[in-house]
Amino acid sequence: MNFDFDLIVRSFPLLLVGAGVTVQITAFSVSLGLLIGMFVGIARLSNTWIIKALAAVYVDFIRGTPLLVQIFLIYFALPIIVGQRIDPFIAAITACSINSGAYVAEIFRGGIQSIDKGQMEAGRSLGMTWGQTMRHIILPQAFKRIIPPLGNEFIAMMKDSSLVSVIGFEELTRRGQLIIARTYGSFEIWLSVAFIYLIMTFTISRLVDYLERRYKIDDKH
Amino acid sequence: MINIKNVHKHFGKLHVLKGINAHIAEKEVVVIIGPSGSGKSTLLRCINYLEEPTEGEIIVDGIPLTNEANINKVREEVGMVFQRFNLFPHKSVLENIILAPMTVRKTPKSEAVKIAQDLLVKVGLADKEHAYPEQLSGGQQQRVAIARALAMKPKIMLFDEPTSALDPEMVKEVLDVMKSLAHEGMTMAIVTHEMGFAREVGDRVLFMDEGRLVEEGTPEEIFSHAKEERTKSFLSKIL
Repeated sequence: MNFDFDLIVRSFPLLLVGAGVTVQITAFSVSLGLLIGMFVGIARLSNTWIIKALAAVYVDFIRGTPLLVQIFLIYFALPIIVGQRIDPFIAAITACSINSGAYVAEIFRGGIQSIDKGQMEAGRSLGMTWGQTMRHIILPQAFKRIIPPLGNEFIAMMKDSSLVSVIGFEELTRRGQLIIARTYGSFEIWLSVAFIYLIMTFTISRLVDYLERRYKIDDKH
Repeated sequence: MINIKNVHKHFGKLHVLKGINAHIAEKEVVVIIGPSGSGKSTLLRCINYLEEPTEGEIIVDGIPLTNEANINKVREEVGMVFQRFNLFPHKSVLENIILAPMTVRKTPKSEAVKIAQDLLVKVGLADKEHAYPEQLSGGQQQRVAIARALAMKPKIMLFDEPTSALDPEMVKEVLDVMKSLAHEGMTMAIVTHEMGFAREVGDRVLFMDEGRLVEEGTPEEIFSHAKEERTKSFLSKIL
């Protein structure tokens, strides 16, 4: 086997463009997922059974089905219902955000439940509503505790976003496939793709470590 | 000021309060004593609805505790101090105190800060406004908690074993603050094991056992001339 290093060098700029798209889709999905997850996580702790039940159904459905199938559902099945083709970028972000939201919801729920019950009681006894206490007292404390699992979710999302290559969306993995189709350089290109993913996930994990340490030092502030 | 009528509380199968009737008048300091598990903390927590009575009625300052709006209204007028302080660890002492006045009463920040600083002087912690709870001793934290409750200008203060989690040498500083509150005419309901304090500051003492209000009277009546056998036997063990 001869290893074509030159192929890697030539392909790298194209792969980097794909990596940029991967970062984009991950950033969008994680941000939206964070928003969805926060509300669903809170909803799972609601006293109103219907809200609680809806949140549970959402989380169970998403966690109980493969992301790949969810992507197919949104890209191929949804257009049949709405009668309109969905842009791959929109479909990719929608599927990934909805997916991420379910996992983030569980992280939020755990974080909120880990805060001492006395905090809610103190807030309520001062006349603050449930919502005000959640916003000013519970969530800021919970958020600090869930930074590490959120970081893991961020990294998992970045890797899972490779699945949207199946709907032809040109992120890093899809770019790799396309280059291989032209050059037959499977080994070189998949190695490069893996390396680029590794660099990106490693960077995020260092960033999360840094955030975690920073909040540890002034733990309570 | 506070009217408690036939209040029952069940925790699952556990019958914690078995028909409590009690009344607390304006400016009265009522001390609730009794063995652990007698339901005294639960009763106190029913007054601001942190526990919902299974049966019975509670009226605070003319407002029956029936719906969410009423409950929030009552809580604005009823301050509570907890055994474990429950300060907000991510906020400074000052922020702990100004949060509720600003979010609930919509007090402007400058005014809330002024009120908070005055209260910190009152509880002897004027120099601690920028400290965080974890940097304070238990006694200091509990005094901040009292200041935090007072910042809402409550008409009633509830104390749930405020000195039970404190090291012995810090008990007095908290009791002193409570004493001065009592002298200012605050209506207070206090669950405590500090019998000396109950005798000195209480206008009336309630003795509870096994979910019932066994006996009530002036400190003199309860501590020196208790009528009920159970009261006598409880007091003989702790005095």
